[in-house]
Amino acid sequence: MATPYTPTVHGTGVRATIQRFGGHLAGMIMPNIGAFIAWGLITALFIPTGWIPNKTLAELVGPIIGTLLPVLIGYTGGRMVHAQRGAVVGAVATMGVVVGADVPMFLGAMVIGPLAALVLKYADRFTAERTRAGFEMLVDNFTAGIVGAVMAIAGVLAIGPVVEKVTEVAGDGVSWLVSHSLLPIASVIIEPAKVLFLNNAINHGVLGPLGVAESVKHGKSILFMLESNPGPGLGLLIAYLLFGPRSLRPSTPAAMIIHFFGGIHEIYFPYVLMKPRLILAVIAGGASGVLTFLVTGAGLVATPSPGSIFAYMAVTPKGGWFGVIAGIVIATAVSFAVAAALLGFGRANGDQADDIDGTSTEKHDPSSSETAAESVPATKEA
Amino acid sequence: MSSIQGKDVRKLVVACDAGMGSSVMLASTLRRQLKGTEVTVEHTPVNSIPGDADVIVCHAGLADRARASAPGVALVPFQVFIGDPAVTRVVDAIKSGGTIDG
Repeated sequence: MATPYTPTVHGTGVRATIQRFGGHLAGMIMPNIGAFIAWGLITALFIPTGWIPNKTLAELVGPIIGTLLPVLIGYTGGRMVHAQRGAVVGAVATMGVVVGADVPMFLGAMVIGPLAALVLKYADRFTAERTRAGFEMLVDNFTAGIVGAVMAIAGVLAIGPVVEKVTEVAGDGVSWLVSHSLLPIASVIIEPAKVLFLNNAINHGVLGPLGVAESVKHGKSILFMLESNPGPGLGLLIAYLLFGPRSLRPSTPAAMIIHFFGGIHEIYFPYVLMKPRLILAVIAGGASGVLTFLVTGAGLVATPSPGSIFAYMAVTPKGGWFGVIAGIVIATAVSFAVAAALLGFGRANGDQADDIDGTSTEKHDPSSSETAAESVPATKEA
Repeated sequence: MSSIQGKDVRKLVVACDAGMGSSVMLASTLRRQLKGTEVTVEHTPVNSIPGDADVIVCHAGLADRARASAPGVALVPFQVFIGDPAVTRVVDAIKSGGTIDG
């Protein structure tokens, strides 16, 4: 990770550790995406600047983002550590960071949920050996109750204020980057990290929680679009379709559909990993997309997940389509241009050796990944 | 490194980071290809691979985590999500017999 331009294709212990940590963060958010989307839809529709403003229904917005979503995150985080009991104390403890906070406490929930569950896990281990037969239920219920109550109190008094401060500082850092137009540089880190399968960790673990804080304040946030823009990947895949090794060309139309409409970005990572210099293309695409979002003042209401064009359209605030679409289109174009150049426009890099088994299968049948799957010959590119 | 005979496979697990995106996609493809066999195909996050998995299929970039999360289970890493030869070999081994080296 030290040198983002040359991602290590072979796994190292460090990389797996970072992935695993990031996976835990994302793992608390991703099972709850449905609730986020529900919130995003309600917000986009009913707030005063929404599509069909409605005062009564807009009252849903605050409690869902302020309480329900953090509690769900804390619940899920607790469950990851200590199953159902962990989930329950995680949810209770999360209430501690939620009350009195004036930012959505996603980060706080991601800290206190698993922490409370961990405390209970140790408490359970302690009591399990010392409980007499017949008293298990009493002891179990009261340990969970006491741990939950204590952690909730700790949340209000200690963890909440600290996390609020951290969220504030991070948010200030982001607005500083935005106001100095430095945000595109983030792509230099984000795009390489993404293809190393840190995509969920970055988007849901870091950018999402900060974005939500901003979205609540300003009605939209650009942070949701830094990692999830489907443009760079699409540009790369188009370049592969036209100029890539012939053996890979037949599979790219299906990959494009899955990537751009289905929002599963993982599908394009291998195309970068097998020719690491193409990371420059997605970085350039990502950065120009972010720059376009900045210049046009674009933002999304909630996190588009998965990063599909449909999800993007669904969480774009009223009147914000121009900037959002422009950023995606420009990112696609730039990424395509750079990738095409790096692929030597189909010549120059000796890929023609693959012609023998690739020429007969140049089919453009994007509807069926099965067809593509069966027709793709072995990948010879290293 | 462990290997298993294709005919002994009962549960094949496709793992990805969140267990919600790419693994679901590949799992549904494999489920279709393995229709008529007795193999169950599941998709899970790479951190929580079930203990009764016989074969794990996951992207090479996540192989380290899969190995740590389910040691001793045959692990087949692949490079591309569509039509990877390593995945095709697994399907062939299950359908027409053969060894899966993980």
